[in-house]
Amino acid sequence: MIACTLAILLIACRASLDGPPAQVDGLDPAILPPDVGAPYALFSDRCSKCHSLARALNASGNTKEYWDDCVERMRRQPGSGISVEDTTVVLRFLYYYAATQANVQRPE
Amino acid sequence: MRHRSPRWAPLPGVLLAILVALLARPSWAIDRTFSGSAQFDYLFDPSEPNGSARQIGFDGFTAEVALKLSADLTNHASVNVKVCFGCHGFEDDMAYLDYRVMDELNFRVGRFSPSFGGFNLRHDPGNHGTSDKPLPYDMGRMLRYPEWNLGVLPAPFPNNGLEIDGTHAFGKSATLDYALYAVTGFKASEGEFDLDFVQSRSLYYVGNGSLPTVGGRLSVTKRFAPRVEATLGASGMGGTFDPNNLYTYVIVGTDLSVRVKQTSIRAEYLARRQDLATTDPTQLKYTLAQAGTSFVKHGAYVEVERPINRVVTMIGRADGLFRIGNAGIDSDLQRSNWMGRLTYATTFAVERGVKVKASTEFWQFSDADAAGRGRDVVFHLGVVGLF
Repeated sequence: MIACTLAILLIACRASLDGPPAQVDGLDPAILPPDVGAPYALFSDRCSKCHSLARALNASGNTKEYWDDCVERMRRQPGSGISVEDTTVVLRFLYYYAATQANVQRPE
Repeated sequence: MRHRSPRWAPLPGVLLAILVALLARPSWAIDRTFSGSAQFDYLFDPSEPNGSARQIGFDGFTAEVALKLSADLTNHASVNVKVCFGCHGFEDDMAYLDYRVMDELNFRVGRFSPSFGGFNLRHDPGNHGTSDKPLPYDMGRMLRYPEWNLGVLPAPFPNNGLEIDGTHAFGKSATLDYALYAVTGFKASEGEFDLDFVQSRSLYYVGNGSLPTVGGRLSVTKRFAPRVEATLGASGMGGTFDPNNLYTYVIVGTDLSVRVKQTSIRAEYLARRQDLATTDPTQLKYTLAQAGTSFVKHGAYVEVERPINRVVTMIGRADGLFRIGNAGIDSDLQRSNWMGRLTYATTFAVERGVKVKASTEFWQFSDADAAGRGRDVVFHLGVVGLF
């Protein structure tokens, strides 16, 4: 079983080197605009402390108002490590993400 | 007249609450977050003879499903409702109202797991990388759970009650969090020698004594660099567990988590001191002179979690339990017992929100079982989906 797990691990590592998977836990920073890279890194650090990034990226609400309330609620979670200053930066990424998702979901 | 099984009783109310919230008109301007998770896990214990593994653990398939709805009613008020389906059927894991006066003062009332330790926030299978929980918080995935009666504080531990909590930021680099609460607490029937965790979390959701369990938590989070921070916390709760409020339990804990970029190092220590019912001393395994009228169960874990890339995350964990004191006459436990476990786990992100969890666990026990074995090796293979 250990050998099997290690083999899967090696295959997964190799696969990740071959090219970015289409849908995994987070986003590929390489495909983000330069001004969103740093906000995404902070979002990735802070929001993966308690839960998977998929939880945020697959969230049902995807508007600015939704993210304002959601990030504020998360900031107040004990030990979240999200400062008031962080929320501005994290929201910069989430606004970008909300906008791109809206474009993806908009009918032709 | 046929009565509905109590374990299903919370379902209609919770589903109604979810339905009402989902169908609420947009003009109500309520922000809702609907989330959930489902984990299906297979535990394989090849070292036990055919069929005997079931006597010491839940070998085979297990499922844990949870649905949660959070709704911000106003800028100050929010509600959270969560229902889960696990080994004991449908249960109401949380149903509470938060009223926040300011960051430093929040009132939480309803049914919730009171603030204790660092693992509490990550108890959902979608929020921790291993298939099972650390031993201090184990709720049925550990080996020899029948004789050990689970961990120190099986998580989650929903209770009815009131919590006052808050957070205060000291500049940009430090925050202080606190919580004080009074809740129904854990339960056991008269004459029991340990907490009854099934009774404590199952219907009916009322306390069995008139005295609440009280407790609190204090933690400090300090940021040392933009991507380096640490949280140090201390928690405690205590109360009575029998209907006559004669016997007490006290649980204390301390936790430390260090975060360096996306690598997490977590360590926790918990201890529970527990009275044993002494109404009939002949039902105790050891005389009062030999082992007293209580026991203490210690538990600790250390784990390191590190994403290798966006697909693979590796987790190493060492945890254990140590119990010392008297026991019921039918118990297989001695005056002093311990168990230790080493876990190597890997998660694979298959799709966004879908992960495969694989782990190998090496167990060691202070006493051999009937077949003379004091060690065990088991394997978990599971999949978790979350949204």
